[in-house]
Amino acid sequence: MLKIENLHAEIDGKEILKGLSLEVNAGEVHAIMGPNGAGKSTLGYVLGGRPGYEVTSGSVTFDGVDLLELEAHERAAAGVFLGFQYPVEIPGVSNVQFLREALNAQRATRDEKALSGGEFLKLARGQADLLGMDYDMLKRPVNVGFSGGEKKRNEMVQMGIVNPKFAILDETDSGLDIDALRVVGDGINRIMRAPDKAVLLITHYQRLLDYVEPDFVHVLADGRIVRSGGKELAQQLESEGYVGIAA
Amino acid sequence: MAAVMELPSTREESWRWGDPAAIAAAAGLPRGEAPAGAWFLELEGARAVFVDGVLDEGRSDLRHVAIAPLEGGTHVLGARTTGHGWSLRVEAHASAELIQIVHIATGGENHVPAEIVLADGAQASVVETYVGTGWSNRSTRMTLGAGAKLARAVRLLQTAGFVSVRDEADVGAEASLIVTMLGAGDAGTRIDGAITVSGDDAFAEYGGALLARRDQRQECALSVRHAALNGQSKQIWRAVAADTSTASLAARVEVARDAQKTDGVQSLRGLLLKRTATVNLKPELEIFADDVKCAHGATVGELDQRALFYMQSRGIPHAKAQALLTRAFVGDAFAQIADETVRDAFVADADAWLEAAL
Repeated sequence: MLKIENLHAEIDGKEILKGLSLEVNAGEVHAIMGPNGAGKSTLGYVLGGRPGYEVTSGSVTFDGVDLLELEAHERAAAGVFLGFQYPVEIPGVSNVQFLREALNAQRATRDEKALSGGEFLKLARGQADLLGMDYDMLKRPVNVGFSGGEKKRNEMVQMGIVNPKFAILDETDSGLDIDALRVVGDGINRIMRAPDKAVLLITHYQRLLDYVEPDFVHVLADGRIVRSGGKELAQQLESEGYVGIAA
Repeated sequence: MAAVMELPSTREESWRWGDPAAIAAAAGLPRGEAPAGAWFLELEGARAVFVDGVLDEGRSDLRHVAIAPLEGGTHVLGARTTGHGWSLRVEAHASAELIQIVHIATGGENHVPAEIVLADGAQASVVETYVGTGWSNRSTRMTLGAGAKLARAVRLLQTAGFVSVRDEADVGAEASLIVTMLGAGDAGTRIDGAITVSGDDAFAEYGGALLARRDQRQECALSVRHAALNGQSKQIWRAVAADTSTASLAARVEVARDAQKTDGVQSLRGLLLKRTATVNLKPELEIFADDVKCAHGATVGELDQRALFYMQSRGIPHAKAQALLTRAFVGDAFAQIADETVRDAFVADADAWLEAAL
């Protein structure tokens, strides 16, 4: 589904990704772990198409399409979802309006018919219920006044509504208490665990992986993947730290 | 050319961002066809159509609005309106039906005075829409008796030329004045407001949004003067400038020595959609009383890049994301419009502008 080959990327002339290669197939969950500054969030942003991140060499294909050639919104329409480490507050735009615009814009890019107001509300209400989010929060401005946990829960509601093929979740577990972690973990499994879908989980800690069991774990250090293994690698990292393993 | 010579000079402080040359140019536009369109909102009430400053009786249903000789006052542009204009006078404790006035300009210059006089406890609501081309010059004198309520919403939608609006208001005790302006056409715009809160416990709100694009210049010069006890006022203005346009706001709150317990709010915010555009803000507070609250803020910035990317990452194209964020930015300025149909019309006008400008 996703194939990254020898990816080099920089911000403001500083190289962050230094030859990263990774292949993710449908039905798989991959976890990317690594120390601060390794390039984990940069990888997420490069895949999402954030302005300011320049790819200097290498390639990324998604379902055979050159992902790097697509605008950010086209990547979303193609089925890529980027869950933010710090979801952005948007005063004056309600969650409902934002999500309806997003979903219908994606559908328009794919030449699909827009959902009516009623159809959309039914879908949004259902996803909010499944993630234990009060429906009234959908009427509030996007993420404004939300706690850290509520913002992450909102990311999952958004993911449930747009129903992507491939999700890059950047530290979705940060700022969550144990109950919220379980809700978010269940959400990821419910929305993304399917034979035709895949997930790239970017995380610092093993605890999210207790809920969302990865098929592969990769250690990212200094801009490239230095070690790959099964879920036991995450446990090894938790007990031994990055120092020995990433060296 | 004599008329051009009498226009104000940018050497005057209150005209420093003004564009008198654009007024002269607008006045010189040749007369043409009247634009077609359904300019009235779907609301019951009195209707008046002025074509190049002259009442079109066939398309008007004046009801309690009268046409009368009126003085344009002493303001440099307002003074030119002296002549026949429209007059709304509402008796004590009576409520006037909604009044809609459409000003259609086809070129050249036209000048119309107006007065709205509400006796004690009277209520009225007025919506004005400007369309067409040429120089449309207006002065409106509003007098609110004790406990009177006036809501006035003005849509400046001329496609070319210039619209200058001079408003003067006197707000009596416990009265409420709410004026909302929207500049969303392609004409040059000058709004001059002089509001006096003259009775105790009165409320005056005068705000709106100026949306400028291409090489357009829109500006508002406003003063709200508190001359009585316990007065409240709000000036909520949003200026959006695209391309190489300029949007300017000079807004003043004056609090006289005796106007204790005044509660004033002034919020001037500018948004640059391009770095080649200009927003000028000049907030002024002149306070002589010692027991007053005057909250004020003035900021100019660009759209939040993080929010833009967040929206794009959810599938919303860049231009649409800009439009949603800009609409949210402007929305604050329409919040005080009580009538849903009127508020929706303002939002639709702003959306149409965004669609064209982004």
